[in-house]
Amino acid sequence: MRRRLITLALALAVTTPAQAASNWQVNHEESRLGFQADQNGRFEGQFNRFTAAMRFAQDDLANSGFDVEIDVTSIDTGSQKRDRELPKSDWFNFDAFPKAYYTAETIRQTDDGYEAVGELTIRDNTHPVTLPFTWETTGDTARMKGDVVIDRIRYGIGQGDWTDPSVVAHDVRVIVDLTLSR
Amino acid sequence: MANFRNTADRWGSGAQLLHWLIAIGIATSMIMGWVMVYLPVSAFKFELYALHKSLGMTLLALVGLRLVWRWVNITPALPAHLPSHEAWLAKTTHRLLYALMFVMPLSGYVINSAANFPLNVFGLVQIPNLVPESEAIGDVASRIHLAVFWGFVVLLIGHIGGALRHHFVLRDAVLRRMLPSAERER
Repeated sequence: MRRRLITLALALAVTTPAQAASNWQVNHEESRLGFQADQNGRFEGQFNRFTAAMRFAQDDLANSGFDVEIDVTSIDTGSQKRDRELPKSDWFNFDAFPKAYYTAETIRQTDDGYEAVGELTIRDNTHPVTLPFTWETTGDTARMKGDVVIDRIRYGIGQGDWTDPSVVAHDVRVIVDLTLSR
Repeated sequence: MANFRNTADRWGSGAQLLHWLIAIGIATSMIMGWVMVYLPVSAFKFELYALHKSLGMTLLALVGLRLVWRWVNITPALPAHLPSHEAWLAKTTHRLLYALMFVMPLSGYVINSAANFPLNVFGLVQIPNLVPESEAIGDVASRIHLAVFWGFVVLLIGHIGGALRHHFVLRDAVLRRMLPSAERER
């Protein structure tokens, strides 16, 4: 075991560039995992609790990746009337599916930033989601921003009568704005 | 050809158009409102809500326009033969109708705002919320909205009953002068 670790450490020392992907901690006070949706007009909401294992370095994308676990029950759309519906089985079904996940093992450079090629799981429905984002590192802090449109119907969010897009639109824009430190 | 503006004894076509548009709007909105609150939760229910809100905001704008139009026009006089208590009753009913025409959409707007729901009028323009999210404010506004509904029922019975009485019993021009039939009037 010890020998293996040493071998691994040596291998890493040889292959890893100077700026290896670091583990970044989310500063929750200054971060937001939100969304924009449409119900006879646009409204915004957010998930107040989530944990994120963020590995990232501009010059070590190969070892970069995200692992996010969202406490679905922390959803907040700023309307008690609406938020009372969301735990029900037609929407997020809190009792059965209290967590959602986003996992991205592939981070690629794009023309205007990066994109995370990953999978989003809500209500046990998993679909690929590529999240375009920008990442700015300043010393030991960083700011990550990105947004992507998902189709709520694919995840079973809003079933029965709620599948009608004229009441609640199918497209939901997920907005990620994280302040991180290492 | 009917005048667009009012004359001393007749409503112009501008005032008539506003009167009848708003009349149809109020009737539609009241029926819609009554039906939609009793429907079980469904997509149709929320589509009715959305339409009801859009219609309400449209009526608020029309009533504002109507009041301005009233101010910049002559108001046709009531028939001279009317006893003073009837004239008072007619004026009071009209004033109350105007008041309710404002309070009705405004209280609805407050209900929606206090729930922190967005309000997009006919999917065309999103208007900002009036008050912060508050179930207490929403509750008060709901009570006012319902009270105004019954207020409208009472006033409209008086308003429509009065107009019919003028036309069929007193046989004067009070109803006719709000109808687009200038040529037939003698």
